[in-house]
Amino acid sequence: MSALEVTFVEEDGTVRTVAADAGQTLMEAGKGNGVVGILADCGGSCACATCHVYVDADWLEAVGAPDDVEAEMLDMVSDVRRDTSRLACQIRLTDRLNGLRVAVAPYA
Amino acid sequence: MVATTEAAGCPFTGKGGPILETGSLIDPEISARPKAYYDAMRADDPIHLDPKLGMYLVSRFDDIQSIQRDPITFSVYEGYNAQYAKGYFEEFKQILERDGGGYFPDAIMSDPPYHTRIRKLMDNAFSAHRVRELEPRISEIVVDVLEGMADKGQVDVVKAFSVPVTIRVICEQLGIAQYNADNIQRWSLAVTAQIGRMQNREQMIENAKGLCELQHFLIAQIRDRQDHPKEDMISDLVHARTDDQAEPTLTFKEVVSLVRALMIAGNETTATAMTNMFYILATQPKVAEILKRSADDDRLLSRFVEELLRIEPPVRGLSRMTTKEVEVGGKLLPKGAHLLLMYASANDQEDVFPCPREFDMERSNLGRHVAFGGGPHRCIGLSLARMEIRVAAREVIRRLDHFKLDIPVEEIRYLPTVATHSIEKLPVSFSRRV
Repeated sequence: MSALEVTFVEEDGTVRTVAADAGQTLMEAGKGNGVVGILADCGGSCACATCHVYVDADWLEAVGAPDDVEAEMLDMVSDVRRDTSRLACQIRLTDRLNGLRVAVAPYA
Repeated sequence: MVATTEAAGCPFTGKGGPILETGSLIDPEISARPKAYYDAMRADDPIHLDPKLGMYLVSRFDDIQSIQRDPITFSVYEGYNAQYAKGYFEEFKQILERDGGGYFPDAIMSDPPYHTRIRKLMDNAFSAHRVRELEPRISEIVVDVLEGMADKGQVDVVKAFSVPVTIRVICEQLGIAQYNADNIQRWSLAVTAQIGRMQNREQMIENAKGLCELQHFLIAQIRDRQDHPKEDMISDLVHARTDDQAEPTLTFKEVVSLVRALMIAGNETTATAMTNMFYILATQPKVAEILKRSADDDRLLSRFVEELLRIEPPVRGLSRMTTKEVEVGGKLLPKGAHLLLMYASANDQEDVFPCPREFDMERSNLGRHVAFGGGPHRCIGLSLARMEIRVAAREVIRRLDHFKLDIPVEEIRYLPTVATHSIEKLPVSFSRRV
């Protein structure tokens, strides 16, 4: 297991850089470190949009686009959806994503 | 002064009034047609003590959200147990211990950290991606049931469609090949009545008998999978392993309670949603017209399902209990306050969902409804439920047309329970779509 670092910008602007392991999801890294706004109600099963993040422009290509199951979930929060929206539970961390930066999307 | 609802061009939904002082959620009329009661609560007394029920009804969206997000202060374990078979619990428990193979408390109706262990074991089985793989088989079942009724012209959709479809889907997932659907429906109602608060002693005894039968049926299935594991959910639970070194497997009691929960939650509530779908198709021709043009549009069908769940949530009230004195929505609640989270009321809140009584599939915040609850107890089967309802909508709209209610709306009867809002019987006529 390799130690990675990922950065969340919480809704109020607080920047939180947390340690993560390759193989974890971005949601697990966020929730496990108490990042505000990463709620993950459904436990990471791509079914609730409570771990919604905006991927930093520089990282978009490396992270990739949502598949259609995830895109459907994101459509349910179209009021806050952007082109850079992803569900953190669907982003599997790898060495390539070391340094990843995302902003936490507003929920309720 | 012009009410904001009118200014916004919505039908006025009504506000406040004496209904709060005189009414109760367990009055049959209010239980069946609760919208005005919800409106009055949200306007005048958002956390309303219903003296007949002995519970605080939590009616506003934000309060429900904050309660759900704090499972330690607001205990599901305490709330559920205080609700369960209320008034008759000891007798009910004795019947199950004597005649039903045992009393098996609901493992999932618990608090963290215990709940987290149970929940983790079940999350994977229900992921949106895994459920997607089930779509072709669910379609086959829906089409088979539909073809059996399409030329009849008139049916009770509860009996002819909703119940048989959902029971077939969940039994297949559990790996139960031989079953009597009437029994399963009867058992399901016997289980849900235990949190419904509207059964008398005679009904409790009858329901307890049903639960005994259900448990014997499920225990036989579980024993079989202990010796002969198969590719099904019962086998998954029987042979599940957690990363918890001290307790790596589920106990037999836990397995029975979880299989029972899957069986019941997997059919009763989803069946209600399917019945509600026919109700919408028969009473809102504009919605039916949009769907007719959109049977192949997955995005729109998903939005239809979500709006259906928002506007008519099958589960309308689940309980919590405070584990300490706490302020919610401006009201100081004592320790041990028994709460009922009124999901249907939150879904009707105008400043969250504008024009809440309008069926609007283009709402930009559809995913925010609380029909599945929220927080760590959010419905685990939500992806399966959504898939079943979406497939049902697609296949129904492909095959049927000209939906019409065959009884006046005001004659529709609902099951007597505070936990769900379930149509008992819905006669609908239709023609085969040409």
